[in-house]
Amino acid sequence: MTRKIPVVPCSGIGKSLGAAAREAAYILAEDLRPLDAKVVALALLVLGDDEARREVAGRAAVAIDGCKLECAAKGLTDAGAAEVRKVAVFDVVRRHRGLKPEGVCDLNADGLKLARASADEAARIVDEIVAEDGRA
Amino acid sequence: MPNLPKRKIGLISCSGEELPEGTVTRRAVRTVLETLRPDDTVTLCLPLFLAGGEGERAFARHYPTIAVDGCPKRCAALATEKYSAKPAASIVVSEIAKEKECAAIGTARRLNEAGLRLAETVAERIAADTEKLLNMKSRGR
Amino acid sequence: MENKRLELTVDKFIFRFPAGLLYSEDGLWVEFEGQRARIGLSDFTQQRNGDVAFAMPGEVGTRVRKGDEVAVVETIKVNLSLPSPVAGKVIETNQELVAAPELINQDPYGKGWLSVLEVEDPDAARGSLRTAAEYLTLAKAQAEAEVSR
Repeated sequence: MTRKIPVVPCSGIGKSLGAAAREAAYILAEDLRPLDAKVVALALLVLGDDEARREVAGRAAVAIDGCKLECAAKGLTDAGAAEVRKVAVFDVVRRHRGLKPEGVCDLNADGLKLARASADEAARIVDEIVAEDGRA
Repeated sequence: MPNLPKRKIGLISCSGEELPEGTVTRRAVRTVLETLRPDDTVTLCLPLFLAGGEGERAFARHYPTIAVDGCPKRCAALATEKYSAKPAASIVVSEIAKEKECAAIGTARRLNEAGLRLAETVAERIAADTEKLLNMKSRGR
Repeated sequence: MENKRLELTVDKFIFRFPAGLLYSEDGLWVEFEGQRARIGLSDFTQQRNGDVAFAMPGEVGTRVRKGDEVAVVETIKVNLSLPSPVAGKVIETNQELVAAPELINQDPYGKGWLSVLEVEDPDAARGSLRTAAEYLTLAKAQAEAEVSR
């Protein structure tokens, strides 16, 4: 059976963009690409959890970061992912001008729209990776 | 040493994305920050902490912290100790859930009613620990 | 620019203020270069208002009085109308902010500058601004008020 592509959100707790990143990961793995994507916890990766590291080591992975600090992307790189493809929720906001996401535990309507738009971008990346894996 | 005018407690949650208990930690910490102890607490962002966040790590070196973890892997507690100082208190949601004999609490994406109640219980536990730590600091002066 | 920086820590937030700059009460820094003044957002202002999504300095050629809008910055939280800290004419704007507005957050005193103005009366302008130490005191009061809200 083909292994699912690891997706790591930053889940930052201080800003709504972190919440949107987290929600985007769930939309991707549960709604959009349930056969191809799997959420992996950033903290487990960075702290060296064996199971989490095995999911990403030597593989292409998707980081969904809330802001430009790119905590998830850095964590994936440090954990040995072969390639880290990034979705920056912050850049998605710029492409959907006027959205004012709010809330951390419960995103407002703009936050949910932002999460969905970010998940759509992540789904395109997952499709690319799947296609590349198929050709390999 | 930075200028630290007011005693505050840093709350650091694991936010573990793979388990509903991780979502409980997140909700519980935000409840304490926003409602139960808004003047006494600060949340520390674990991803930023792990990635080298200067403000987060400095705070955890100079102030007491409470680590709130979803499961016995205790990522928040371990990270705090590794990069700053041992947390003054450590709460593990799965242990509280067992103690309270919680039914299924929903999914990581969406907690159900039992999950939301568990988050409230955890929030109250965090608030109680916050109170204890603040009182300890008072008596220590 | 003088290298020394004053630092203010409130909870987990660290704010920095280069000692060689002057500051307006509205949270902009000013660096005088003869008749010219380079301006930008202070570290305190950028942290307080969140990640910048769009930065729109006023056009080159625009004349402003002190207090007139000299730029608009849109963050994920708010849309900020920034009052000019000096009276003068905009002669240069930071084009890098079009593609990379996050420079304001990442390097508020360096690559995140907003505009350069030709100042009508630099001495008077200097006199109306705050030193880093004075601005730190103001920022401290504002920061503490916010964290206890």
